[in-house]
Amino acid sequence: MSPEQNPSSNAHSSGSRSESESDSGPSDGERSDSPPSRENDGLSEGEQPEIDEGRYIYCLVSVPGGDDDSNVDFETTGVEGEPVSVVTVDGIGAVVHECDEIYDSADFSRIRRWLVRHQSVVDDAGQAFGTPLPFQFDTILRGDDDGVREWIRSEFETLETVLDSLADHWEYRVEVVRTDPIDDSTLAELDDELASLRERIDEAGDGAGFLLEKQYESRAKEVRANKRAVLADDLRDRLSEHAREVHELERTPTATLGDDAGDGDDDKETLCRLTLLAHEDEESAVGSVLDDVAAEQGIEVRFTGPWPPYTFAPELGDSSGRDSGGASGGDADAPADRDGLGERTVAENSTGTEDNHTSNPHSTHDR
Amino acid sequence: MTTIDIDGEEAADGVMTLVVTVVELLVDALEREAVRRMESGALTDEEIERLGQQLAAIEEEIEQLKEDQEIEDGVENLRGDLDGLVSDMIDRLDEESAPGQRPGYSVFDEPGGDER
Repeated sequence: MSPEQNPSSNAHSSGSRSESESDSGPSDGERSDSPPSRENDGLSEGEQPEIDEGRYIYCLVSVPGGDDDSNVDFETTGVEGEPVSVVTVDGIGAVVHECDEIYDSADFSRIRRWLVRHQSVVDDAGQAFGTPLPFQFDTILRGDDDGVREWIRSEFETLETVLDSLADHWEYRVEVVRTDPIDDSTLAELDDELASLRERIDEAGDGAGFLLEKQYESRAKEVRANKRAVLADDLRDRLSEHAREVHELERTPTATLGDDAGDGDDDKETLCRLTLLAHEDEESAVGSVLDDVAAEQGIEVRFTGPWPPYTFAPELGDSSGRDSGGASGGDADAPADRDGLGERTVAENSTGTEDNHTSNPHSTHDR
Repeated sequence: MTTIDIDGEEAADGVMTLVVTVVELLVDALEREAVRRMESGALTDEEIERLGQQLAAIEEEIEQLKEDQEIEDGVENLRGDLDGLVSDMIDRLDEESAPGQRPGYSVFDEPGGDER
């Protein structure tokens, strides 16, 4: 099995919370219309951090031998049509555009366009330079290109290590779905407790039967959950042989930004969702493991990738000493610091969190 | 986030949906408790039978009510939302200890930027 290529429209890089907001749909009141990435605890409505000059960062890439920005041949259009450039330091390039404000809108479709754009820039960068280290949507570094360079220099060792270790590795997403639910009688054959409950129901009167029926339902749910766990564990083990890391994700994404948001198909049972980081040479090996799984009657496997390694990007910025304020770099995640968002900002970025992923590839990939 | 339209004719529907949802949740809890007692052997067969019949009757009545009021979808959605709300709360609790996972824009000061 080969993964479906990631269409750029799959871009979602906002967090899970924002997704759950969007879950209720764009027409569902002002909450859901609020932009996906505003968690401005300390700021009142409409207030934004002031940025005189800043650089919006899409991702970092390895630029072999590139130490002069003008040597780097990479052109694309970024969020809001901004021209994207690459700022390099000793072989590490930051894909950025100039900006002077955060991206914030009450217009849901506009945000979606931004996210898609963000994702396409990261994709393009990946094509041009190899595996990128992706950043979350709306990550902005104050200052000009020199500021970016200085930041790269200050984190150089970490960034170099991370980029090297991710080189030629990509994220792949796997979703296993049972299209053909196991019916009750089959389930009862698999579980003694269910079988004995069924017998008791047959002998019981209406009232007792009703209660036993309830008990049967909840046991059946348990049995199904156990079966899912067994399958997921097994699959994870088998994929681990070909992947550097395998993570199990929540079975249902909290929400999607796609048009198909929320259209759960009741007959289908998502058995598990996994994300893995694998070397690109292992792609077909992963595919054959999945072929085995998909060979079973009533099981469908969705395999997407290669994606930029959002889930596997380390968190940056919570190490101390990066801020000019410097006062509490290490604790920059504390709520107090968030309150200071307007003037001294948050070091809570991660280059791509698990959250990114809750929605990332699978939400719209099976178009 | 679920909002209930309290203006106009949807108001009655909204309140009805809310009430029925809450009652459903309550009945679910009662049913679980009844099953627990049945299994613990604390009830006589007669008591079990009576309890089951009563709960069955209540459930039937709620189903009928939902059908009459055409709020089946509304109740289901609201229950889904409530589930989501609970998950969100749990997520948020988690985030207290893992703030790096919080979504949101991030603006970084350049290193040494303010003095320049």
